[in-house]
Amino acid sequence: MEKPFFELKDISKYFAKVIANKDVSFSVNRGEVLALLGENGAGKSTCMKILYGLYRADKGEIFKDGVPIIIKSPKDAMRYKVSMIQQHFSLVSAHTVTENIILGNVKGKINWEEESNRIQHLADKYGFSVDAKKKIKDLTVGEQQKVEILKALYLDANLLIMDEPTAVLTPQEIDNLMNFVKDYSKQGNAVIFITHKLKEVMSVANRIIVMRNGMVYGNVNKEDTDEIRLSKLMIENSIEELEKPKVDELKKEVCVSLKNICVKEDQEIPLLNNISFDIHKGEIFGVAGVSGNGQQELCMALCGAQKINSGSIYLNNKDISNLSIKDRIGLGMAYVPSDRHRYGLVMSMSLAENILLKTSYSKQWSKNGLIDKKKLKDTTNGILKDFRVKASGPFAIAKELSGGNQQKVIVGREVENCGDFIIFDQPTRGLDLGAINNVHSAILSEKEKGKAILLVSTELSEIFTLCDRVAVFYKGEIQGIYNTSDLNSEKIGLLMAGYKNEGESING
Amino acid sequence: MDKKTRDIFITSFLAILFGLICSGIMILFLGKNPISTFALLFSSMFRDGYTIGEIFVKATPLIFTSLAFAFTFKANLFNIGAQGQFYIGSLVAASISLLIPHAIAIPIAIIMAFILSGIWGGLIGFCKARFKANEFLISMMSTYVALNLMNYLLRTVLLESKGEYPQTDSLSKNTWLFKIVPHTRLHVGFILAIVVAILIWLLLYRTTLGFRIRAVGQNQEAARMSGVNPELIFVFAFFISGGLAGLAGVTEVNGVQHMLLQGFNPSIGSIGIGIAILANANPIGIIFASILFGALQVGGTIMGQISGVPSSIIDLMEGFVMVFVIISYFIRNKWEINREKKLLTEGVK
Repeated sequence: MEKPFFELKDISKYFAKVIANKDVSFSVNRGEVLALLGENGAGKSTCMKILYGLYRADKGEIFKDGVPIIIKSPKDAMRYKVSMIQQHFSLVSAHTVTENIILGNVKGKINWEEESNRIQHLADKYGFSVDAKKKIKDLTVGEQQKVEILKALYLDANLLIMDEPTAVLTPQEIDNLMNFVKDYSKQGNAVIFITHKLKEVMSVANRIIVMRNGMVYGNVNKEDTDEIRLSKLMIENSIEELEKPKVDELKKEVCVSLKNICVKEDQEIPLLNNISFDIHKGEIFGVAGVSGNGQQELCMALCGAQKINSGSIYLNNKDISNLSIKDRIGLGMAYVPSDRHRYGLVMSMSLAENILLKTSYSKQWSKNGLIDKKKLKDTTNGILKDFRVKASGPFAIAKELSGGNQQKVIVGREVENCGDFIIFDQPTRGLDLGAINNVHSAILSEKEKGKAILLVSTELSEIFTLCDRVAVFYKGEIQGIYNTSDLNSEKIGLLMAGYKNEGESING
Repeated sequence: MDKKTRDIFITSFLAILFGLICSGIMILFLGKNPISTFALLFSSMFRDGYTIGEIFVKATPLIFTSLAFAFTFKANLFNIGAQGQFYIGSLVAASISLLIPHAIAIPIAIIMAFILSGIWGGLIGFCKARFKANEFLISMMSTYVALNLMNYLLRTVLLESKGEYPQTDSLSKNTWLFKIVPHTRLHVGFILAIVVAILIWLLLYRTTLGFRIRAVGQNQEAARMSGVNPELIFVFAFFISGGLAGLAGVTEVNGVQHMLLQGFNPSIGSIGIGIAILANANPIGIIFASILFGALQVGGTIMGQISGVPSSIIDLMEGFVMVFVIISYFIRNKWEINREKKLLTEGVK
């Protein structure tokens, strides 16, 4: 039998306090698309970073065509024609496509014309509509990803590793990417596709490796499996069935009210234009839309981090438009931000300190002027228990937790501090199914308590299962507010794309 | 003793040992015997009560200036200007003690030196908050402003009655910080330094205000989203930092010099930075690190006087020790990680 193209054998990797990989063995053949499937924190990325030389394995071997090789750095990996596209791109945004691609690969005097022609040729060959002379910052996220792929193609990579490549793409771009992957592998190259989305796996992969807790739990051909069987392999505990939100009458009482909110920066197009809506108590109000259409600004304006140019915000009939973030927190406004690393947690601090973060001005934590450590510890323990956070205790450092567990800590903290109104900005982005479930039931239990909830999401299924009403955002404006029951995914898709009613385009 | 504490002792000991070996090699180049030089160094440190007292006298201002650096460091800010803030504190202490030649001048000097050098430091934080200025540069340059302000005042209104040297008259004995050990120069300022270090530790690690300062230091955006105003924290952290450096001025002027001299103690600001890094900016660790450096200075001065080895070899030795202490910090981390890994591997089997 032919030797596999690349083979990992008994790879183990330990980080302090965490087993990232334990005796991981699998191989990839030429012309094959291999999907590496698993929940967040299952060890998929770690294992690939070992193959790409970003990490060193504590144990185990790597073979290429049956010959043992040692990969100490990405430079070694590139010598073996392995290339990896990280989840977060490594591009210099002020430089052009050409400059980014040849970075580190040219010596001496650069013939710009020739290099850029060569790259343009490469892009055209694979049907990438990328202009080699454009600057990275002028490209869309999908195009930037193509630049990353071009970088690998420029180096004649034969094994392409992609870490969650579809997370940032639109459905159209995902189709393009899938076509490229199929095309590229047909030429005798191999692709390893890291993902936790079952649908993508079934559409593109030839073979699937399922990982869980740092170990390989399954190695199956696509023909021999289906989505249900894969999800069972992937998840330890079976997912709890979500309780359907009660379709009781909306309580009439308005909790949050936005009147003609406008946000402008400089003289450009308004980021938010004339936004008005009410959220009632016990209501989950959804904001749908392709990300970057004003949702972030809306959340920031509500919590006080973004100054509004006109309009007013009322919380329980009190005008809070000019209050500071601190005062709004004091009034019981809670916010689960979409970027948890940047806005939600202090990664180098303990979980207990992160619980304290949002309410550090509140008198409840002070005893004789000092922090009441016991109370803080008990509260943190309570949150860890209620939200089933996997952590060594309240004094574990936040960055040691997996993404899902970090998010559970934030949700736990915000729910704990929440008065009447809570904002969830993409609360399940990048989370695994177990954690998604956890967050969803937290949202529903807040609804039951009669709180007003704003849920921003790009996942339509999330909007449909949870929300009572939904506003569709497009270019900083509301396309319309609908009862969720009156919408279907086709209708909402058109609204998200900028069509106000079927067939009627508003922007040409 | 847990393994972590054991590691700290082992690595710190080794760091000092390696520091001595390296500086020993340098002494060899001077044609002297390093063993006997070091023997002299250590014996001279402890030769009598007066000299031992001197160690703590030297450590006192270092505690304050390294606390000054450590405090802003916790907010991820760099106060390189402790030297200038120290001069402002010295000026205030000397002026008040000359104006009020009574014991009451001491508490007034302490409070006013803290407030005025705090404001001097707070201005740096204000520039950072208001104009997004680089605090590193501003704090560094502010030292020269303070130095020249002091020189100007020493040649004009504060000039001694004889009018010969740029220095003040001797302070009235009433305003001297009283001695806590007879027959030494050790004064109550040392106790003040320890108390202040403990208070700073409490402020940073046991109060919500200190928590907010550290949160701004670690993740400014998350702190802002949690209602903290980072700009206010900048000003506050620099105010406290400046005030701490100013206290070093009081203990030096009222406790040691008993007058204000032009350009005295020109390097306690920079040594303070080194000590703070060595102690990982921990206020309690700073006390011990300052005593270590105080001892090296005292021993070095005496050694230079009696052995013929230039006392600047001590600067070299301090440098070597500092380098190895910083390295040891990373080694400890590595050990810790390896232990965790081993536990895990065993747990899996």
